[in-house]
Amino acid sequence: MIETSRSGREGLLIVPLGDCALLVRFGDSLEDGANRAAQALAAALDADPIAGVVEVVPSLVSVLLRYDPAATEPFRLAGEIALRLSRPAEKPAGSHRIGVRFDGPDLAEVAAALGLTIADFIARHCAAPLRVLATGFAPGFVYCGFHGADLTLPRRQQVRPLVSAGSVLFAAGQTAIAASDIPTGWHVIGQTDFRNFDAARLPPTRLQAGDLVSFEALA
Amino acid sequence: MSALVRIVRAGPLATIQDAGRHGLLAHGISASGPMDQGAFRQAGALAGAGSGAGIEMTRAGLDLVIETGAVRIGWAGGAFAVRINGAALGWPGAARLSAGDLLSVTPGSAGNYGYLRFGARLDLPDVLGSLSTNMRARLGGLEGRALAAGDRLRFEDGAGEPGPIATAPVEDGPIRFIRGLHWERFSVQVQSQFVGARFRISPAMDRMGVRLADEDGVFGGQSILSLVSDPVLPGDIQILGDGTPIVLMRDHQPTGGYPRIGTIIGADLDRFAQMRPGSVLAFEPVSVDHAHRLLRSGQT
Repeated sequence: MIETSRSGREGLLIVPLGDCALLVRFGDSLEDGANRAAQALAAALDADPIAGVVEVVPSLVSVLLRYDPAATEPFRLAGEIALRLSRPAEKPAGSHRIGVRFDGPDLAEVAAALGLTIADFIARHCAAPLRVLATGFAPGFVYCGFHGADLTLPRRQQVRPLVSAGSVLFAAGQTAIAASDIPTGWHVIGQTDFRNFDAARLPPTRLQAGDLVSFEALA
Repeated sequence: MSALVRIVRAGPLATIQDAGRHGLLAHGISASGPMDQGAFRQAGALAGAGSGAGIEMTRAGLDLVIETGAVRIGWAGGAFAVRINGAALGWPGAARLSAGDLLSVTPGSAGNYGYLRFGARLDLPDVLGSLSTNMRARLGGLEGRALAAGDRLRFEDGAGEPGPIATAPVEDGPIRFIRGLHWERFSVQVQSQFVGARFRISPAMDRMGVRLADEDGVFGGQSILSLVSDPVLPGDIQILGDGTPIVLMRDHQPTGGYPRIGTIIGADLDRFAQMRPGSVLAFEPVSVDHAHRLLRSGQT
């Protein structure tokens, strides 16, 4: 009764999410391969859409396909998904430069916990572009990664009830940018004027999963 | 027909809704839309709705007055009391109202959400393809907020014809769900207890989610690791770290990292949304195939 199928790829799971969607999951933990596989499937679905699929949502290690149950059903969809898994598409990645004022309330603590001076932390943080791992947690929110092991810290013990839009967040080997006011348990390391959400534009966001982001320290 | 309508009294969290802002989950926006989609369509058919938008009321109801013009209004959803200039009418129903008429909707015997639809087009700016209010993201409707006394809504031409209303038989069994995403992460004992156990709708409920009281202690003591986030859809039943089940509703968080034991089927989500705090329910698993047959037989 559970329409779950496992194919050759280790950890791959296609599972219904209710009666109007399937979730294709590439792993149980956040790692680079599963994240890239999810982005490749989303690109393949973009390049070669499946009839009856009304929305494709790439996430950290999965892709959600919302479908019209009057137009298709999970068994047929699973076949169409398998076809696209066998010939993944590469989408040309956009690239973005984002200026950050590294003045967040957790900056000093983060640098100290990593055994770095603040200047060294900022230099290492901005040394190489990061990839947008996923969008969608909140309006315009992006996760970017991955930093090396030398820049990996767990989240804070305490959740801040609200940080403002433009907060640059750091945890779990990633840097994230909030485009709206949100609660977060991540370290706040800085602020940006860049806003990845504009309700007057369609689509409302500029950064897409797979894009490259270069962070630049502003004086 | 055109009309200017003033809200005289708004119960808490009355909002403008249309069919929803679909297709923006990747941008971090859930679709919103009516909590009881069937009732929303029914009110629209009664009104001869000229556009997809109407008012969703919560249990306290709402009063409005027609300031100028005239408009046909249809109402449905749950069981509320409705009066025009003090004279009681039937629920669901419809009437043509003219300048000076006062429509008053007050609490009734059943349901959490009632709908007012209008036989003319609601003149509000389209935000990302929809008029629906998303209070989480502060988008749509009137500045992304709930309606308040004194708000004015303008309706312009664009009436449709009142149509027949589908009266689906009221279901009264368990709430049916599809096992999915994290079903297999729960122990066999929890899986078997979840089906048929008693859950009670708690007062902690809104357009984002409905918290359930786990009366039989199905999830008590179950410690579950937090997971990598995946996209969320309305009807997902997520289990918090302390064992509290929450059913995510139309203004749900776009992604979630708590385990989800299943998802309520489309054919039962309206009925679930109308269950008042204190109501007792049980869950019953069905196949996707079965859920699709129910969708085909039940909806227009």
